[in-house]
Amino acid sequence: MTYNPTRFVTGRIVRNEGRGEIFYRIEATIPEPLRFVPGQFAMVSGWPGNDPLLPRPLAVFRSGGTRGKGKIEFVYKVVGRGTALLSGLHPGETLSITLPLGRGFDLEQAGRTYWLVGGGVGFSSVFPAAALLGRRRNGFEMFLGARTRDHLPPKEWTPGGKAPGRTHFCTEDGTAGYHGRVTDAVLERMRELSPEAASRLTILACGPKEMLKEISTETLKRGIPAQVALENHMACGFGVCWGCVVTLWEGDRTAYRRVCRDGPVFDAREVVW
Amino acid sequence: MVTPDLSVSLGGLKVKNPVLSASGTFGYGLEYMPFYDISRLGAVVVKGLSLAPTPGNPPGRIVETAAGMLNAIGLQNIGVERFVGDVVPRLEDVGATFVANIYGKTMEEYEAVALRLSEVPSLGAIEVNASCPNVREGGMAFGATPGGIAALTGRVRRSTGKPLWVKLSPNVTDIAGIARAAEGAGADAVSLINTIVGMAVDHRTRRPQLSNVTGGLSGPAIKPVALRMTWEAAKAIKIPVIGIGGIQSAADALEFLLVGASAVQVGTANFRNPRACVDILEGMEAFFREERIAALADYRGGLRMENSP
Ligand SMILES: Cc1cc2nc3c(=O)[nH]c(=O)nc-3n(C[C@H](O)[C@H](O)[C@H](O)COP(=O)(O)OP(=O)(O)OC[C@H]3O[C@@H](n4cnc5c(N)ncnc54)[C@H](O)[C@@H]3O)c2cc1C
Ligand SMILES: Cc1cc2nc3c(=O)[nH]c(=O)nc-3n(C[C@H](O)[C@H](O)[C@H](O)COP(=O)(O)O)c2cc1C
Ligand code: FES
Repeated sequence: MTYNPTRFVTGRIVRNEGRGEIFYRIEATIPEPLRFVPGQFAMVSGWPGNDPLLPRPLAVFRSGGTRGKGKIEFVYKVVGRGTALLSGLHPGETLSITLPLGRGFDLEQAGRTYWLVGGGVGFSSVFPAAALLGRRRNGFEMFLGARTRDHLPPKEWTPGGKAPGRTHFCTEDGTAGYHGRVTDAVLERMRELSPEAASRLTILACGPKEMLKEISTETLKRGIPAQVALENHMACGFGVCWGCVVTLWEGDRTAYRRVCRDGPVFDAREVVW
Repeated sequence: MVTPDLSVSLGGLKVKNPVLSASGTFGYGLEYMPFYDISRLGAVVVKGLSLAPTPGNPPGRIVETAAGMLNAIGLQNIGVERFVGDVVPRLEDVGATFVANIYGKTMEEYEAVALRLSEVPSLGAIEVNASCPNVREGGMAFGATPGGIAALTGRVRRSTGKPLWVKLSPNVTDIAGIARAAEGAGADAVSLINTIVGMAVDHRTRRPQLSNVTGGLSGPAIKPVALRMTWEAAKAIKIPVIGIGGIQSAADALEFLLVGASAVQVGTANFRNPRACVDILEGMEAFFREERIAALADYRGGLRMENSP
């Protein structure tokens, strides 16, 4: 794996646009291009003053650029004060960004078929995984769940191109794609698999806790490996404050581990729900 | 122009500048190496160490509040043995001046941790956390009264020859009395303030927001309280005072020096800006240059009280 040293940089906003009032996409230039593992994240701030005081964790959505001129993108949903302030920033204004952070998805196992499951804004860390697998021509399927059609990620954000992937859109109200919860769509599709195909399957998931919990329970029952991206409130994002811990199994005991450093992606078997 | 002399002696530990990291916000120091060379700091104060590794409090450990945050980490740490075995050699390699912050549930535990650390030649000083609000026993109980502080300080004093700093709790009525008690019992310096006990609840779920219910408030919200207490402590004692609380900029740090602090520690500011400590250091150097102040000693404690507004 490539070595991606963490850095603290100033980003200059190029674009910050809302889509359907639900998701925003912010693009900024940074000093150097970034290599990251899908599922890794950044701590982002940019609003003036001390309220909110702490930066906000956002998954790295895309990176690019050339030597001496990097580019970085995040997608986010406005849920509170920090994200609301972020949505009010304009091109030309600056962001403070610490990145890349955490342990991303393990996409390095040979001979696996990956199913990527994103609930709500969870697509933000699932899309980079899809893009990477697509580039490698590694087989995958993607399941995206939302309450309604308007809560699904815009089609043009979906990594496409020549990727050998297949995307299942799911809405709880049936306004688009599969009518029902994304976890049900995943389970239905699983039943169609031959035992041989199922044995090659690895599931990666990011989304609301309930969704991750169900994915974990169901994959565990079937012996399918799963990696889940957890969230928690964070202060530092790089492992020094010990504020973001979750409870994990270590053998037959439990321990508190940091989402920002030991995760955010964990083996589903480790998580104490 | 000549480089201003920022060096200062902190109770037997001579540091090259007065900007230090605050315990619990800086990990074991090495975590900051991707951002800058930590040996540039006056000293690195590491996360509170106990005798055995400590698991800390259950999740639900932090919550943001207006211009600050509450934490109830519960002193999760790797324990003194692993610190000495794994971390110390790496801190030595990077050439950092480092200080161990310690705590115990009992006087005996404080003493045992101090004894073990005294065997580490490269350790700059021991800072006794006499004030953690997030553990049920220990800390707070010792830190709340002059008698408790004197007993704890005396006990640790007898177990170590290292420079001994005692970190004071703001959750007391008379900080000057507490500072005097630490000085009288043999402390080489005091540092203050630790976090202020606070609480946050959710009016909809009707629940506390921290698993521990109460937690310690830090960040810019506490700066005025910290500044006042630093000033009161500095007037009351002769040993050096290290000012802590809500410092985010060089100007903030200079204010603490002005009211009598010999040095400062920077805590919560490191979370939003991992380079906060060096930014503050560079800002301070620039200020002294601009104002043509040759040495820290010429500025420190220079608060003008005549004709106050
Ligand atoms: C590793 C990681 C990656 C993330 N990636 C993305 C992303 O790509 N796009 C995106 O839109 N969001 C992402 N999030 C979530 C995002 O960080 C929060 O939505 C954001 O911090 C909310 O800030 P706020 O000030 O707007 O809301 P606040 O006012 O702080 O909170 C609003 C509500 O959201 C809850 N909340 C806030 N932060 C979190 C959190 N971290 N976990 C659970 N609940 C929380 C609060 O309890 C409250 O109910 C990620 C979180 C993590 C930990
Ligand atoms: C997350 C967190 C953990 C802390 N842990 C410790 C600790 O282990 N020992 C200690 O003496 N102080 C600890 N503190 C207190 C700080 O060292 C400092 O005294 C306090 O936060 C005020 O400074 P600030 O406003 O600059 O953060 C902690 C503070 C925070 C925010
Ligand atoms: S957010 Fe500070 S340790 Fe994870």
